[in-house]
Amino acid sequence: MSEQTSLTYAKVNEDVIRMLDKPTVKWLALFIPTLGIVGFGLFCFLYQVYTGLGVAGYRHPVFWGVYITDFVFWVGIAHSGTLISAILFLFRASFRISIYRIAEGMTVFAVLTAGLFPIIHLGRPWFFYWLFPYPNQRELWVNFKSPLLWDVFAVSTYLTVSSVFFFVGMIPDIAAIRDKVTEVPRKILYSILSLGWKGSNWEWLHYTRAYLYFAAFATPLVLSVHSVVSWDFAMADLPGWHTTIFAPYFVAGAIFSGLGMVISLTVPIRKIFHLEKYITLDNYDGMAKMIILTSMIVGYAYGTEFFMAWYSGSPYEWGQFYYRATGEYALFYWIMVACNVLIPIPLWFKSVRRNIKALFIISIFINIGMWFERFNIIVISLSRGFDPAAWGVYKPSWVELGITAGSFAWFFMFFLLFIKTLPSVSIAEMKEFLPVPRKEANHHG
Amino acid sequence: MSQEKKGGLKRRDFLKIIGVAGGTAAVTGACSPPVEQIIPYVIPPEGIIPGVPNWYASTCRECPAGCGIVVKNREGRAIKVEGNPKNPINAGGSCALGQAMLQGLYNPDRIRSPLIKNDTGRMQPAGWENAETALVEKLQEAMQKGSGSNIVFLSGHTPGSMGNLIDEWMTAIGGRHLSYETYAFEPLTEANRIVFGIDKIPTYNIDKTKYLLSFGADFLETWVSPTLYTRQFSEMHSYKDKSMGKFVYIDPRASLTGVNADEWVSIKPGTEAILALGIASAIVSGGMSANGAGPFGGLLSRYTPDKVSSMTDVPEETIKEIAREFSSMQPSLAIGGGVATTTTKATETLVAVNILNYVAGNIGQTIDFGNTLTLSDVSSFDDISSLVESMSNGEVDVLFVYNVNPAFTLPKSMGFEDAIDKVPFVVSFSSFMDETTEKANLVMPDNTTLESWGDFIPNESVHGLIQPVMTPIFNTKSTGDVIISVTGQLKGFENTFSQKDFYDYLRNAWKEVWTSSTGGGDFDSFWDKALEDGGIYKTTSPVPVSVSGDLSGVEFSEPEFQGDGDFYFMAYPSYRYYDGRGANKPWLQELPDALTTGVWDSWVEINTETAEKLGIKLGDYVRIESPQGAIETQAYVYPGMRPDTVAVMIGEGHTSYGRYAKDRGVNPITILPVAKDALSGGFAWFTTKVNISKTGKYTPFVQTQYTTSEEDRPMVGTVALSSLVSGELEQEHGEHEEPDFYPPVKHSSQYRWGMAIDLQKCTGCGACITACYAENNIPFVGKELVAKRRDMAWLRIERYFEKTDNKAGFDTRFLPMLCQQCGNAPCEPVCPVFATYHNPEGLNGMVYNRCVGTRYCSNNCTYKVRKFNWFSYKFPEPLNWQLNPDVTVRDKGVMEKCTFCIQRINYAKDQAKDNGRKVLDGELQTACQQTCASGAIEFGNLLDEESKVSKLSHDERGYKVLQSINTQPSITYLKKVKWDKA
Amino acid sequence: MDNQGVLGIFSYIDVTINAVRKLKKEGFKNLRVFSPAPNHEIEHVMDEPESIVRFFTMFGAMLGAACGVGFTVLTSTDWPIQVSAKPIVSIPPYTVIIFELTILIGALSTLLGLLINSRLRKNAPKSMYDPRFSVDKFGIMVTCGRDNVKKVEEILNSQGAEEIKVDGI
Repeated sequence: MSEQTSLTYAKVNEDVIRMLDKPTVKWLALFIPTLGIVGFGLFCFLYQVYTGLGVAGYRHPVFWGVYITDFVFWVGIAHSGTLISAILFLFRASFRISIYRIAEGMTVFAVLTAGLFPIIHLGRPWFFYWLFPYPNQRELWVNFKSPLLWDVFAVSTYLTVSSVFFFVGMIPDIAAIRDKVTEVPRKILYSILSLGWKGSNWEWLHYTRAYLYFAAFATPLVLSVHSVVSWDFAMADLPGWHTTIFAPYFVAGAIFSGLGMVISLTVPIRKIFHLEKYITLDNYDGMAKMIILTSMIVGYAYGTEFFMAWYSGSPYEWGQFYYRATGEYALFYWIMVACNVLIPIPLWFKSVRRNIKALFIISIFINIGMWFERFNIIVISLSRGFDPAAWGVYKPSWVELGITAGSFAWFFMFFLLFIKTLPSVSIAEMKEFLPVPRKEANHHG
Repeated sequence: MSQEKKGGLKRRDFLKIIGVAGGTAAVTGACSPPVEQIIPYVIPPEGIIPGVPNWYASTCRECPAGCGIVVKNREGRAIKVEGNPKNPINAGGSCALGQAMLQGLYNPDRIRSPLIKNDTGRMQPAGWENAETALVEKLQEAMQKGSGSNIVFLSGHTPGSMGNLIDEWMTAIGGRHLSYETYAFEPLTEANRIVFGIDKIPTYNIDKTKYLLSFGADFLETWVSPTLYTRQFSEMHSYKDKSMGKFVYIDPRASLTGVNADEWVSIKPGTEAILALGIASAIVSGGMSANGAGPFGGLLSRYTPDKVSSMTDVPEETIKEIAREFSSMQPSLAIGGGVATTTTKATETLVAVNILNYVAGNIGQTIDFGNTLTLSDVSSFDDISSLVESMSNGEVDVLFVYNVNPAFTLPKSMGFEDAIDKVPFVVSFSSFMDETTEKANLVMPDNTTLESWGDFIPNESVHGLIQPVMTPIFNTKSTGDVIISVTGQLKGFENTFSQKDFYDYLRNAWKEVWTSSTGGGDFDSFWDKALEDGGIYKTTSPVPVSVSGDLSGVEFSEPEFQGDGDFYFMAYPSYRYYDGRGANKPWLQELPDALTTGVWDSWVEINTETAEKLGIKLGDYVRIESPQGAIETQAYVYPGMRPDTVAVMIGEGHTSYGRYAKDRGVNPITILPVAKDALSGGFAWFTTKVNISKTGKYTPFVQTQYTTSEEDRPMVGTVALSSLVSGELEQEHGEHEEPDFYPPVKHSSQYRWGMAIDLQKCTGCGACITACYAENNIPFVGKELVAKRRDMAWLRIERYFEKTDNKAGFDTRFLPMLCQQCGNAPCEPVCPVFATYHNPEGLNGMVYNRCVGTRYCSNNCTYKVRKFNWFSYKFPEPLNWQLNPDVTVRDKGVMEKCTFCIQRINYAKDQAKDNGRKVLDGELQTACQQTCASGAIEFGNLLDEESKVSKLSHDERGYKVLQSINTQPSITYLKKVKWDKA
Repeated sequence: MDNQGVLGIFSYIDVTINAVRKLKKEGFKNLRVFSPAPNHEIEHVMDEPESIVRFFTMFGAMLGAACGVGFTVLTSTDWPIQVSAKPIVSIPPYTVIIFELTILIGALSTLLGLLINSRLRKNAPKSMYDPRFSVDKFGIMVTCGRDNVKKVEEILNSQGAEEIKVDGI
C-alpha cells in the first residue's frame, strides 16, 4: 500500500470532503439526462398500468420476462456491497476499506431499484400491498408457503439492514463534514445526520461493537437473500428451474455481478475525483481475484446443469438444456457463457488485474453476461415446459425495454446524488488504517 | 343433466308453454321481455324467477341435419345452447356450430330493421309498413306481367310448415320455389335410385357396424348429419368388452374424419369407384361374399386387384386386406359422397360403393331406407343453374332470397352476381348483410331461429319444433308473418291465408300432425308436450330394398380434371363454418382447426414432400391458379395430403357478412369451374387442377400449437388392441408416481369431483371448446392476439402427428387439455395471496378478486392450462347479452382457468339440497361433457364407487398425463387404442 | 460536586495516553477522550466496561425468531386455507420467514442499543467539543470540582496539551 502511507489524517478529510463541492457542469450533464430516462421509464409504466400488462411482450407460456430478469439482476448487484463491507470486514480484508462505502451505496440503491420490479410486473400493481401481511377487511392473510412471500420478507429485510449498515457506517464521517462545512443549510443537514457525533471514547466503544454485530447479521442475510431469490425458481417444478444447485449458484453469480458493477462504478469515480491514493491497484487486484473465483463457480454451475440434465435421463430436463444451447435463444446463451466464463480468464494474469482499462472493460462484459444469465434461466425455461403443445417464444416489447432503461437511470440517479452529498470513502476507517500521529515514532502501543 | 333439464323443463316451463300455447301475444308472452325493461324486478314477469334458468326446446338450423336443442334462458336472455337429449339425431350432443348459434342471435352485425335500397344504391332503414307496401307494389307489377315464372323464391332446405307456406304462396301468386343447399348430396340420391330404385338418402347405422369403410365421406365434419354420425362412430369405434370396430378412410386428404380412422388410404383422386369395385371383386373372387356377386359378377370380374392397384395407387395387398376384413368383420359398411368423391363421376363412385355394400351383404343390415332424409328433396343443381340463366336473361322480375347465400357458395364462373344484377327487384330475408343481401333492393330481416316459430323435418323419424327462446332483439319480423301479411295486402289474395300469422299457420299444420300421429288426447296437451320435447319422434322400421343389376348409362372410368395444373385442387367444407355461414361468429373463428390449429383465416394444405420440393415452408403465401382464377393464401405443410393434391377450406373469404367474416382468408369456390356430376347433375366439387407458386410473401402462420410431435413425452397414452384383448398390456408410454414429502391430505367432504376422458372416443371436433367459451364467459381475442398466443381458451385440444409405422406414416392423436384439478397442485402453494387454493371437493379453486397477477401459478403449472387477462376484453353489444350471469367476467390483470364449471356444481348441489339428497351421478354435467357428441368426457364424484367416472378412473386404459411430476390430477385419460391384428 | 469541565487538546496519541494515565493517577476518574478514529490504545487505557449493545442484539434476534414463528403459524391457522397437498402449518417454508425476521429485528434492536448507549450528543457540552477532533486532534475532557480546575490545567499543560478550555456550568 505504498501510495496510501503518504496520506495523513488531515489529508483524508480534505480529499474526501472536497468531493462534495458544488456540482460541476460535467455532473449536471450526467444527471439531467438520467432524470430524463427515469421519466421515460415512468411513462412506460403508467402506459402499461392503463392499457394492461399486454403491452409487454409476454406470451403463453412465458409469463415472466424482462421485469423479473431485471429484478434478479439488481438484487444480484445489491449483494457485493454488503459482501465487501460485511464479510470482508469480518475477514479484515484490507482492500475493502477504500471501496466499501461506494459498494454499500450501490447495494442500497440497487435494492431500491430491484424492489420496483415485483410491483411493475404485477397484473394489478395497484394491489401490490396485498402481498404484505396486514389485517384487512378480507380477513385474509398471506401465503407464507409462497416463495414470493419469502421474497417480500427477504428483500425488505435486506433493504432495511443494508440501509442501517450504510448509515451507521457514515455517522463519524458525516460529523467530520459537519465540522468542515460552513454554509447554513448544509451545516444543518449534516448536523442532523451526524446525530451529534463527537467521537468520544464511549461512542467509539459501542459503535465498534454495534458495527461488528451489523456485519455479523449482514453476512448470513446477504447469503439468504439471494438464495431466497433463487428459490423463486428452484421451488417450481419447471425443467431448468427445479434444481438444488440454485442457491449457491445464484449467490456466486450475485457476488460476481456485484464486483463487476463495483469496478464499473469505482473506475470512473477514481479518475474524476483523483482517488488513486485511496482506491489502489491492490484493491482492484483483490477484487479481480474474487471475480476469478466467482466466475469459476458460475462456469461450474453451467456445466453441472448440463451434465445433470443429460445424466438424469429425463426428457424434460435434457429437452430444456439442449434447447438452451441450440434453440431460438442460443445466441443469448452463448453471450452469457462468453461474458461470464471466457472473458474473465485474462484476469489470471497479474498484469491484467492491475490494468484499470482492462478491468473496466471486463467488468462491463460481466454486467451484460449476468443480465443474460438471468434472462436465460427465466425465459428459456418457461418457453419449453413439460407440455410440447404449450411451447412459445417470447420477445420483449419496447415498454419492457423502456422500463429497464428507466431502472438503470433510476439507479444512477441515486448514485450521482450520493457522491455529491455523502462521503464516498470512509474517513474514519481510512484513519484507522493509517499510522496514528505520535510524538515518539519508535515505541508503539 | 337430463335430470337437471327435466327439473328445468317440467314445472316452470309448462306454465310458460301454456302461456305460449294460449299465445295471443304469442312470442312476447312466451318469452320474457328484453332485460332492460325487467331489471330490477319489482314484480317478476309471469314465469320468471330471478336466478333460475328456463330451458326451451327447439331445433338447430345451422346445417340441414336438424339436431334438437334446448336453450338456457336467464332473466329473459338466451345464454346457452345445448343438445336436446330427447332428440334421436343428436341425443344431447351438439357441434361447435350449434353451440355458436347464440353468436348469430346476438351478432353485433345483424340487420336491425328493414332496409330499402334508394336510388343512390344505398341501403336505408325503413319501417315494416313501408317495406311491405314496397314489396306489395313490386309484386303486383310482376304479377301483372304474369309470365308465371318471373317470381322466384330461393330458399335453403326448408322442409316443414315454412316450406309449405312458401310453396302455397308461390303457387297462389304464380311463382316458383327453389330450395338450394350448398352440399346437396345429389349423387348419393341418384346412385341409390340406380341401384336400389329409391332416390333418397338413407340413414346409415354406423353404430351397428364392425368395419367402416369411408370413401371420402367426412361424416364427423359435414357429411349428411355429422353429430348423429359422430355419436354412432364413437359407439362402433370405442373399446368395450375386449373389442372395437375398425374404420378405414379412403381419400387423397386425411380430413379430420380421416385422421380418426385406424387406417388412412391415400388414393389417386377420382378413382374411388375403381377401388370400390376392386375390393368388391376381391371379396367375390375370394369367395368371401355373403350373397355372391349377384347381377354384378360380370362387371366385377373386370376389376382384378392388381389392375385396380395400378389405376388407384393403392397397393394390391391393401386392397385384398380391406376386402378380407370388410367381408369378415360383419356387419360392415361402406359409405361415400364427400367432396373428395364428388367428381364428374360422383354417381358412379357411389354406385360402386353400393355394389360393394351389396356384395358384402350390408343392405338392410347397416343401411336403413326406412328412415330417409328430406335433404334429398332439395332442388337439383340443374334447376339452380337454369335459374341463374333465366335471371341473366332478365326473365326474373322478383327474387326472394331466404336462408341462402348463393353469391358466396356458387362458383364465380357461374355468373350469379351478374345475373342477380339483372333482376329488377331482389328481396332478402337474411339476418346479416351477406354477399347476396348486398345485391338486394329490399331487405326484410327475419328473426333468427332462436327468436322464431317453426318446425323442421330432417328425416322420417323426427319432426322438430322451433320455438322462440326470447323476444326478438331488433326490429325484425318472422318471414312467415311477412309472407302472410303481404299476401293479405295483394289485390285478390286477401283470403289466400286464413291464418292471421305464421304461429297460427304452424299450429294448424300441427293439428294434422296430431291427427295423423297420436290423434288421442286434446290438441293443446299434444302441442305442449311436443314443445316440451322439441318435437315428436317416431320410430321407423327399415324397408326391404331390392337391387337392380341394370347399370345402363353407368360406366366406370376415371373422371377428367379441368386445367393443366400439376395439382388436384380440393375445396373442402369446414366443420367450423359449414358452407361459410359460420364465419361471422367469433367463437368459430377462434376455434382452432383440429388439424392445423389455425384460426381466423384460410390456408392451403400441401403435402410435406411436395412443399420441400417447391421450397414452401409453413406460413409462406402461395398463389393457387385455376383456369377460373387465382387465390393467394398461406401454406400449411401437412403429411396427410397426397403429394399431387392441395386443399383449401370453404367458409372464409367473405367480401361482406359482418366485421368478423369480412376480408378474412380466401374462398376457394371462386376458382372452381362450373362442373356437374354427369349422372345426377349435381355440382361437382373436385374437378379442377391448379398450379401453385410461392409469392415470396411470408408471415408466421397463426396457430394455437406450434409443435406436432410429443417430443418423447408421455402426453397421449396409446395401447395396442391385441395387448388389451390378450390382457398383457404392453403400452407405449408409462410413468409412475414418486414418493411424496408430506403425508396425504384428508378432505372432509362427500364429493371429490373428477373427470375421465376417453382418447379413443375424442374426435378432436372442438365442440367442447366452444361450449366452454359459451358457459364461462371466455372472451375471444382476435387473430392478432392469438398470434401472440394470448387466446383465452380454458380447454384446448392438443394434436400430435406422431411418426409411426402405420400405412400413413404418422398417427394423429388428440388430447383435450384443461385444468387437471391436481390433488397436489403446483400452482397453489406459489400464489402469495391465496388466489388459487384447494377446495374440500378436490377442485383447484380460483378466486379472481384475490388475484394480483404475479402469474407464478401459470409458470409453475405442469400443464400450462392457465390463461391471463392481458387486457380488459370487450364483448360488442349485444354479444354481451349472452354472458352467463353465474360466472364472473374477468378484468385485466387476473389469472383464470377451468374449474369444472363450478357454477354448475353449485347449482346441482343446491338442487340436491332442496330435495334433501346427494347429487346423483349423471345429474351434473360440465359444459364440455354435455356437448360432446361422442361421449368422450365423463364427470362425477370420485368418492362414489358406483359413479361412472370412478369406474373409468380405474379402467385398465386409465392413465394420468405427466404422472411422474406427482401432481395427482383429478382427470384420468383412457389410452387411445391402436388397431392391430386382434 | 463535579460541575466544571476542562478540555485539553492534543496532536499525538502517545501524549494523550500519557496524559490520561497521569490524570487517573491523580485520582480524576471522570474522563472523556475524543479521537478522529477508534483506537485500541485509548480503549485500553480508559478500560470501560464491555459494551452492552450485544444484549440488545441477542434479545432482538430472539424476539425476531419468536415473531417469525408466531406470525407464520398463527396467521395460517387463523383461516386455514389448503394449498396443494401441504399441511396448513408446514414448517420448512416458514423457516425462511423466521430467519429473515430474526435478522431484521436483531439488527434494528442493535441500532437501538447503539443509539441509547453511546449517549450521542450527551457526551459533552458543545463548548467542550472541538471540530478538529473529527480531523486529526485528540482531546481529553475532565469533569471535576471548581477547586480542582487549576490542578487539572496544570497536569494537562505538563502533559503537553496544546490548548486548554475551561467551561463552568
